[in-house]
Parts: sequence; C-alpha cells; structure tokens
Amino acid sequence: MSDSEPTETDGPLDPATQRRVVRERYARIATETEAESSRSSSDECCTDGASATEGTAETAAQLGYSTADVESVEGEANLGLGCGNPQALASISNGETVLDLGSGAGFDCFLAAQGVGEAGQVIGVDMTPEMVEKARANADENESENVEFRLGEIEHLPVGDDSTDVVISNCVVNLSPNKPQVFREAFRVLRSGGRLAISDLVMTADVPEGVRADPDSVVSCVAGAATIDRLREMLTDAGFEQVEISPKDDSDRFIREWDDEYDVSEFLVSASITGRKPE
Amino acid sequence: MKESLMDILCDPLDKSELELEVDERDGEEIIEGRLVGTVTGEVYPIEDGIPNLLPPDMREE
Repeated sequence: MSDSEPTETDGPLDPATQRRVVRERYARIATETEAESSRSSSDECCTDGASATEGTAETAAQLGYSTADVESVEGEANLGLGCGNPQALASISNGETVLDLGSGAGFDCFLAAQGVGEAGQVIGVDMTPEMVEKARANADENESENVEFRLGEIEHLPVGDDSTDVVISNCVVNLSPNKPQVFREAFRVLRSGGRLAISDLVMTADVPEGVRADPDSVVSCVAGAATIDRLREMLTDAGFEQVEISPKDDSDRFIREWDDEYDVSEFLVSASITGRKPE
Repeated sequence: MKESLMDILCDPLDKSELELEVDERDGEEIIEGRLVGTVTGEVYPIEDGIPNLLPPDMREE
C-alpha cells in the first residue's frame, strides 16, 4: 500500500477539490443550528435538509433505525446524513472494538457503544473539525465513556494494525476520492476474522451529462460513488472475503428528496456492503 | 482522549507508534497535549480533548 498509487478520479472533481468540497459542506452542516437546518435547501449530500426533529426521525425509520435506537441517543447526534444502519448490519457484540469511518456527529458510534458495552470501545474518525467537536459534545451529553472521536482521514487511519473487530461507515466512502485506499486501510486495522459493515451509495446508471456538470447539484458530491462491480473488485483487491453488496430496495424514497432539481434515485441507490478479513 | 486508547493509535503517515506528551489532564482524560510520531517526528496536537491526527497537509491553515 502506498500513497503514490494512482488516485481514483471517477468523480467530476479532482481529489483535493473533492476533499475540500466535502469538508466545507459537512462543516456547514455541523455548525448550523436546528432552525437554520430546517430552512436550508436540500443541496447537501445524503440529507434532505430536514430538521433534527421529526423530519430526521422519519428518515431514520426509512434508513433502518428503530424508534428505540433514535430515542436512546441524546443531543443532536443524528443529523440524518446516513443512508442505512451499518451497526445493525455488523451484529456488534459485547466487548468488541468498533471503528466508524466518517463518524459525523456520532449517532452510529453511540448506538455501537450500547452494543459493545463497558468492556468494549468505539472510535469515530472524521476529517471535519466542526463535526468532531459536535460529536465530542454529544459524547458528554450521552455520558458515553467508551466512545472516542478523533480528527483523521479515512485514507490515512491513525489506528494500529489488527486492532479492530468491526469497521462501520454510513454514507461516507462514496465521498472519498480514493476508495481503494479506504478499503485497504479498513482491512489493515481489522483483526483476523474482523468484519466490515457499511451503508453507502452505489451507482446504478451513468450520471446524465447535464447533471454531472452542474456544480450546484448534490451530484458534485456523490458522483464519485462506485458501481457494485467496481466496489466488489476494490474490496476483493483489499483482501476481503465473503463480500456482499445488497442494494436497499426502498432507498429511492429518501434518495429522491436529496436534490430539488434532479431525481438522483435514477442513478444512485443505497446498499449494504459487508465483508470479512480472512482468519 | 483517554490515555488507555494510546494502545491502538498510530501515526497516520507510516503507522508507527506515537509518543504522548501531556500538558493538561483530567484523570484518564488527556485535555491538552500532543502526540509525536516516534519515526516521522510529526507533531499531532491534542486540543480540547480531541487529537488531531489528520495528515499534515490536511490540517486547517
């Protein structure tokens, strides 16, 4: 593994610009108040611009979270930015170490923390300072002793080899300009037999040219999503076995609302992506 | 960050070990300080309890 390998540039933006655009979007989302958020237009990645109250609760149900899940986490941890429920895919057990790639305000981390219990630990890595600050404030509010957040880049994880039982991620890897490296890093930090459980966007058809060229479209952010075949190849190349990528049948219901102008569900679908590091 | 989590942290650049230097702590919790790459010599600040382990070219200006 080396940084000098060619970077994936499937998306419409060069890698540095892609990172900056993503970081700026998520910094803005993190610092918006609830009121501002409910007024904002629906131009954010993986969000319909709903407020952190009932709109998000409804979206959460569509993504696969139970009401108990949503109610069990205090603070503004659930920003409605996901596209599935990765910790449910992971069947997390007591005492495990879980790493969340792109942890945002921490919602999936706090749910995972309930699964690992006091004997386990959860680490969230996110590259946006504003999100990590929000997550840390939410950790205080949730009195979560076993959850830690750090600023880091998922292509350069600050986590040791063979140290993690489960890697989760929710609607984040599609934003990376170098997905193969993200999967190689996830593989590296997992212990033998460790599991990868990701909810993410996959591309089902080519993005229409007019949409791709529109810098205001949510697509500038998500057009880097890979096809199922390409994702499978990346995961297999990284070393994962038992790779399963299952599109979520009804995800067009929430994906359709992400962009005012275009129906992005015509070429994007949310999928459950799982794999295992060989024993 | 908790000191016990040093075990699984590493330098994002070359995955080598990090050394912890503490300026302020609250029990187990490190509030201010830095993590220093034992091989790269890179300094990663810990501010308000949050370690900044972004690669140097990704840091805020």
